[in-house]
Amino acid sequence: MPAKKRTVRIGNWYKSDDEKVHFVRKRKAPRPAQLRKIVPGQVLILLSGRFQGKRVVFLKQLKSGLLLVTGPFKINGVPLKRVNSAYVIPTSTKVDVTGVNANQIDDDYFKRTQAQRRKNEQGFWAKRGELTAEQQTAEKTRLDGKRNTQKSVDAALITAIKKTQLLKQYLGARFTIGKTTRPHELVF
Amino acid sequence: MGLGKFVEVGRVVKINYGPQEGKLATIIEILNDKRVLIDGPTTGVQRQVIPIRRLTLTKFNLKGATRGARTGVITKAIKKNDPFTQYQNTIAAKKVAKKALRAKLTDFDRFRVMILRKRRSALLSTQLKALRKNNAGGKSTAQAKGGNKKK
Repeated sequence: MPAKKRTVRIGNWYKSDDEKVHFVRKRKAPRPAQLRKIVPGQVLILLSGRFQGKRVVFLKQLKSGLLLVTGPFKINGVPLKRVNSAYVIPTSTKVDVTGVNANQIDDDYFKRTQAQRRKNEQGFWAKRGELTAEQQTAEKTRLDGKRNTQKSVDAALITAIKKTQLLKQYLGARFTIGKTTRPHELVF
Repeated sequence: MGLGKFVEVGRVVKINYGPQEGKLATIIEILNDKRVLIDGPTTGVQRQVIPIRRLTLTKFNLKGATRGARTGVITKAIKKNDPFTQYQNTIAAKKVAKKALRAKLTDFDRFRVMILRKRRSALLSTQLKALRKNNAGGKSTAQAKGGNKKK
């Protein structure tokens, strides 16, 4: 049987030494963290940040991998917020989120605007008045928009929450550890 | 301490060590001063030899258990008169069941328990207050006398 002729192209350039190629880590698109069995509507306990210990409702996972949660705002003061799933304890309590529409919220919703960045640039002593008139109105409409989004997302949630007894109070309370609590033995 | 509970054929025991921990069985045969043969067909304990050290004796006996009886005989005797359900009604068994239930409570359950306990305690204290008020005539004067004496 005639062997197939394999042609190997010989290049013009040969390396004199085996150069060590500097290791380049190819940065791919960030892979969203695997959700460890967290389901939309599940109550989560936040473990870090300003809202430590607060019990919030999980809405969906964003493209960046962060979890979108909401208090709801009227119940415990936690707004629509992105949260790292590593800093969260999922509980077995679930709320019905079939009526909740959080589709329009994504990572861009949380991006800082020009006005905010400018304000941060001006530093600690910057007053609101230092924004131009149009920036102020832009800010105002932006904040109003945010409030409305919050209200619309929370409305359906709150009606669902009210159906279960004591669930509203549960979400309003913070999770704490006392002297006798053994966190490793707790069932969440 | 009375000599109430003996290691004897028919004694209902609770296994307190090993893979069968927490289960009940009956003593079928005594092998020596340290080991017995137990069987618990209705409680999921296989017929086995076990050191007495791993057992806690209960005050119940299985009627109709004879020395070396086979599992079938034991099952029949249990059908006639079940000491295992009698044991489950004791306070000790109920405490164990309560502990197991508490261990399973979820975060929301624990919250609800806390609220209900607070409500119960509030109800009790209002009742107590009402009772105290009703006995106010007799009790308060007696207390005053007692207080003076202390001073």
